[in-house]
Amino acid sequence: MARTVFSSVDKGGLTVAASLTGVAALSPLILSAYGVGVLTQLCAWIALAGSWVAFSGMTGYISLGHAVFFGLGAYIMALGWQQIPIVAILPLAGVAAAALALVVGFPALRVRGPYFVILTLGISEFLKYVVVAIEASLGAGGRLLIDTPDTVVLFYPMLGLALAATAINVWLTRSRLGAALRAIREDETAAATVGVPVTRIKMLAFAVSAVIPAMVGALSVLRSTYFEPMQLFSPTTSFTIVTMAIIGGSDRPAGPILGAAFILFLSELLWARAPQTYMILLGALLIGFVLLAPSGLSGLWARRRSASLKRRAVVGRPA
Amino acid sequence: MAQILSPELLLAALMLASTYALVALGLNLIYGAMRLLNVAHGDLMVLGGYVAWSGFTLLGLSPLLGLFGAMLLAAGLGIACYTLFFKRLVRNTAIAARLEANSLLIFFGVSIILQNLMSLVFTADARSYSYMDTLVQWGSVSIALNRLVILGISAGATVAVLCFLRLSVFGIAIRALIQQRDAASLIGIDADRINIVVFCLGFALAGLAGALISMTESVTPFGGFPFTIAAFVVVILGGLGSLGGAVAGSLLLAFVEVYGVTLTSAAYRSILVYGLFILILFVRPQGLFGRKAN
Amino acid sequence: MSLLSVRNLARRYGGNLAVDDVSFDVMPGEILGVMGANGAGKTTLFSMIAGNVKPSSGQIMLEGQAIQGQPPERINALGVARTFQIVRPFPGMSVLENVAVGAMYGRGRIASPAEAREHAFALLRETGLADRADLPASQLNLAGRKRLEIARALATRPRLLLLDEVLAGLNATEVGAALELIREVRERYGLSIVIIEHVMKALMRLSDRIVVMHEGRKVVEGLPAEIANDPRVIKAYLGERRHAVPA
Repeated sequence: MARTVFSSVDKGGLTVAASLTGVAALSPLILSAYGVGVLTQLCAWIALAGSWVAFSGMTGYISLGHAVFFGLGAYIMALGWQQIPIVAILPLAGVAAAALALVVGFPALRVRGPYFVILTLGISEFLKYVVVAIEASLGAGGRLLIDTPDTVVLFYPMLGLALAATAINVWLTRSRLGAALRAIREDETAAATVGVPVTRIKMLAFAVSAVIPAMVGALSVLRSTYFEPMQLFSPTTSFTIVTMAIIGGSDRPAGPILGAAFILFLSELLWARAPQTYMILLGALLIGFVLLAPSGLSGLWARRRSASLKRRAVVGRPA
Repeated sequence: MAQILSPELLLAALMLASTYALVALGLNLIYGAMRLLNVAHGDLMVLGGYVAWSGFTLLGLSPLLGLFGAMLLAAGLGIACYTLFFKRLVRNTAIAARLEANSLLIFFGVSIILQNLMSLVFTADARSYSYMDTLVQWGSVSIALNRLVILGISAGATVAVLCFLRLSVFGIAIRALIQQRDAASLIGIDADRINIVVFCLGFALAGLAGALISMTESVTPFGGFPFTIAAFVVVILGGLGSLGGAVAGSLLLAFVEVYGVTLTSAAYRSILVYGLFILILFVRPQGLFGRKAN
Repeated sequence: MSLLSVRNLARRYGGNLAVDDVSFDVMPGEILGVMGANGAGKTTLFSMIAGNVKPSSGQIMLEGQAIQGQPPERINALGVARTFQIVRPFPGMSVLENVAVGAMYGRGRIASPAEAREHAFALLRETGLADRADLPASQLNLAGRKRLEIARALATRPRLLLLDEVLAGLNATEVGAALELIREVRERYGLSIVIIEHVMKALMRLSDRIVVMHEGRKVVEGLPAEIANDPRVIKAYLGERRHAVPA
């Protein structure tokens, strides 16, 4: 069945989403501090994977270095903490990330070919060492952030970012811009031939996909209270984002949510005890899903739903 | 400042260039023949390095023999990857449409698996050994013997592969495939067999390069990444798919790196490599010898 | 005044001149046929006009405005649409969506997806694809894909339509239907059409004028009847078709 570009509002999905959000918003009342922390982390991953899907999932231009925006946001927060109000730092981080995406994306996105991937592969490394160099010249090895807000206080904006990322993906499935992105993925030459301004749109989408990760980074560094560039620009973060998106499904807005939940669950089980085994498992899962279930968990779910609806229709039972 | 003009630095740059040429050759072969970007290339090098190190420390085997082991293991991995993953990718029509994106993800997964597997087996401690690190005098220049050996073998292997591609039947078939995939299959070239050979060769070259480098640098499980990046930059500099261009690209990158780091500091290495890459993308995206994509 | 004006257009690939000093005009509302053996440079010519390929030299003017070297999306916005010799649908998207993309981003630039969908559906009805609107484009047969290609091109509201071998691979009935469609389209939209074809009978019947290319150069230009009996044309086709138009 064709994945429709203009999905009508899925009433069922909307109700589920609304209820989940409501439950999540109330959860700090019942959960322990640790539980709220885990939920915050989940929201962070949903926001990150969702933003990745908005560009890479939609256009097929795989970004392997998305952590660079996360790290940039964290750095801006580390620099501006206690000198600029959080309310101002967050949008600043977003704008800076968008600007980086435009500057860095322009040479790579205006030409066809694997340049973009290669660029993103190392841009995290590049910026990491730039930041390390800057910090070294300022005499700082890492930065400790004091008097950071409680986890509970950080949970709500993070939830907001997760919602925003999901909302963007939902909007893309119904909008003109989303159709253009899909067309670019299906056949970029043909898209240009029917008037899609391919370079401009790619750059726009890339910039948009950078904003939320930067804000997530800014909030995350408040949670961890310590800024360390080698850690925050880590390729592991980029890899985890990609794996979540692929396992969850990069075609549907629910995908990043499923992917993030699944991998967070795995990491809660394994990461502390056997980090290498955990990563090997992730790698194997990534390969497995690409080969065997390319539309991810959300795709499998959708197929089961439509199959059961068809069965009911055939038998004559009310759907 | 006299250090800038020293022959030692020049030799260091040449050594790095020859290593890069070897690595980039492997990458370019796989990309040129199949349009697949091997993101795990640097990790294959690390694997080669571990084979050489294990051979030397555990069996007393000279790395010059160990490098054959490295190449064999890497080539075996190449066959495994091709048969398990990429053959299926090409056959399955649902995912073949986005072959490039999907193959990227698969290589990405392979990279992570390799890195963590090696971390499990060898731990994260840096592994190194000394072999042939006696200094050789050549006029007023003194250089370690193992660096000369690396330079010699890398350059020799690069030339050998380029000759193979130019002169042997198989090699010509590979080049035909790189130049015009559809036409090549029309004149009866069995793409599947060629693909396996290309994978084996590409992977083996990475293993070889890693085994060579292990003589002078310590091996860590996550240390392959900078080499992957450098390899890609070289390939882009020279022009995607242009094998001779990769040689030119490796010279350019190696010189910029070595002399750039000497003028600034080791921390700027990534910045220099990336700066060069971004510059080329702005000025001449098809690389020095590449054809302009339409 | 001509709608499209091509002057001394050339394209070089290495040592090879794919298109060599070609000049011609296309009048508003006319159907211009382009003929020539494989490798004559016809598709390269189209690619240059549509912007997919940059000319090595020469000029292309659309109603007096120079368009050579511009990117394809800009040229499409000015009113030139093309189909590809080897069709290029958006395979994962439905037939309706394929056309809707053209409606949203072509010269019509419809902002609302719903409106674009309506417009697209109307076009599907015109091109006989309405019954397959929700099918993924990859599931269409060849004839259907060729129609889709045309429908999508039409969605961009072109003034000039470039059709590249739309009849290739179609059986006799399908060819007849396609010709009908092309004529209807010209009538309804007042388009100029430049059509590359190997099926000579069809080309002769459809075109107002014909340009013959050989090895990158324009060999002859004229009315179908003139072309059919031109010895140079017959020579270029070397005995394949001694009688280009059936008696």
